[in-house]
Amino acid sequence: MEKTLIRIHPVSDPEAVYFLQVSWEKDVSSGFGIILTDGERAWTGTVSEAEISREAADMEMNREKYVEELKKALILGEESAGKYNFTVSVDEENAQCHFSYERNLRDGSFRLGSLKLQKVPCPADVVRELIGYCLDCLGGLQVKNEHLQKENERLFCDLSDVEKRLEKCVEAKEELEGDLYNRFVLVLNEKKMKIRNLQKLLNEAKESAVDT
Amino acid sequence: KAPDLSNVNKVSSMFEDVEFCVMTGMGRYSKSELESRIAECGGSVVQNPGPDTYCVIVGAENVRVKNIIASNKYDVVKAEWLLQCFQSKMLVPWQPAFMIHMSPETREHFAREYDCYGDSYTADTDVAQLKEVFSRVKDNKKMPLDLIAELEERYSWNSCKLCIFRGNTIYVDYYAIINKPSTKIHGTRLSIRALELRFYGAKVVPLLEEGVSHVVIGEDHSRVKEMKALRRMFGKKFKIVSELWVTESVKEGVPKNETQFLI
Repeated sequence: MEKTLIRIHPVSDPEAVYFLQVSWEKDVSSGFGIILTDGERAWTGTVSEAEISREAADMEMNREKYVEELKKALILGEESAGKYNFTVSVDEENAQCHFSYERNLRDGSFRLGSLKLQKVPCPADVVRELIGYCLDCLGGLQVKNEHLQKENERLFCDLSDVEKRLEKCVEAKEELEGDLYNRFVLVLNEKKMKIRNLQKLLNEAKESAVDT
Repeated sequence: KAPDLSNVNKVSSMFEDVEFCVMTGMGRYSKSELESRIAECGGSVVQNPGPDTYCVIVGAENVRVKNIIASNKYDVVKAEWLLQCFQSKMLVPWQPAFMIHMSPETREHFAREYDCYGDSYTADTDVAQLKEVFSRVKDNKKMPLDLIAELEERYSWNSCKLCIFRGNTIYVDYYAIINKPSTKIHGTRLSIRALELRFYGAKVVPLLEEGVSHVVIGEDHSRVKEMKALRRMFGKKFKIVSELWVTESVKEGVPKNETQFLI
């Protein structure tokens, strides 16, 4: 069972804050459950796989595309970008709440879905569960964060260790090269000096041959 | 004390009429063993060197050996030479590596045949001999990179895969403030690039000044403007390239043309 919790501001009352929890098994496209609460009251409802298909067909929309839109609206909470609108109208008499969500377009909007939610008799239980869910999430994230931080530190240590070793290798290579070239040049110059001496001897011999 | 060599079997005559004085043995070969093997090859052995002694053989040096050296009258030769003679069954010519000490005459002879590092003027050398010769070079100076670059150019060694960046003077953009090495940004890929540049022959400098041929830049382009301003004042213009120039050149083993990496 997967869950997400987002915060929404209905267009009818932008000041009000509602919390929307969507829960589903494996994939949203096979139906999902909704819990809506303003902290004092809570309502609940479900959207079945068949209803999703029907809504998509009503809008003459590809089902997959429709599910993508649903995810953006209800799970990722792209409301803040002004892309999706929510309306919440509470019907106290029938212990119901009418909830609808729509995609905002430049010239108007189109309704993605609407449903009647039933009032939950004990909203405190719902709020407790939501807070519990948030704390669990927070704990999980903290553990993950710590783990990643440690991993990061370890990688950084490894990197600087390898860098130091590489630097030593480079230094050793430079030193070896400089040293070998130095020795090579000294030995090479000895040979050249010998050649110069032999040339001198040859010239002297030539001169003395001319003289005689 | 002189060993009794009266009943050795002569196996060779390579040392016929040659007189040796063995001072000390070495490793598996004791002094007396070396002496009897000399006798087997027709040589004679004395306990103190005299006017007819060809050379003094030494395995391990001791006080007596030091005295012989100080007298400067005899050639003092390592026992390894003797072992090589036995092995090749011929009189192996002396080489500088065998000589612990040389008499003045031998020294003169060697000066004609070998340079002062013991490398022969006429005989070909090989890796092992050259290593020996190099080990006798006591001058431990390190050749500077620009001289190495010149040398490699002269002998056409500059196509070697380790010389990709030879002759280039490179400033790496890993200082938060240009020309301020104390502001080095640690743990970036650029410091690895700098090591790669050095490994493949470049001269990596901490200051962006006249004479720099390339500046290598990473993802952070915040200092490029300042560098270009600096470049306008330089007589010799440097190229500003992305670090990809380094990785691509290393990957292909040749310096890549900078134009497609310019910033």
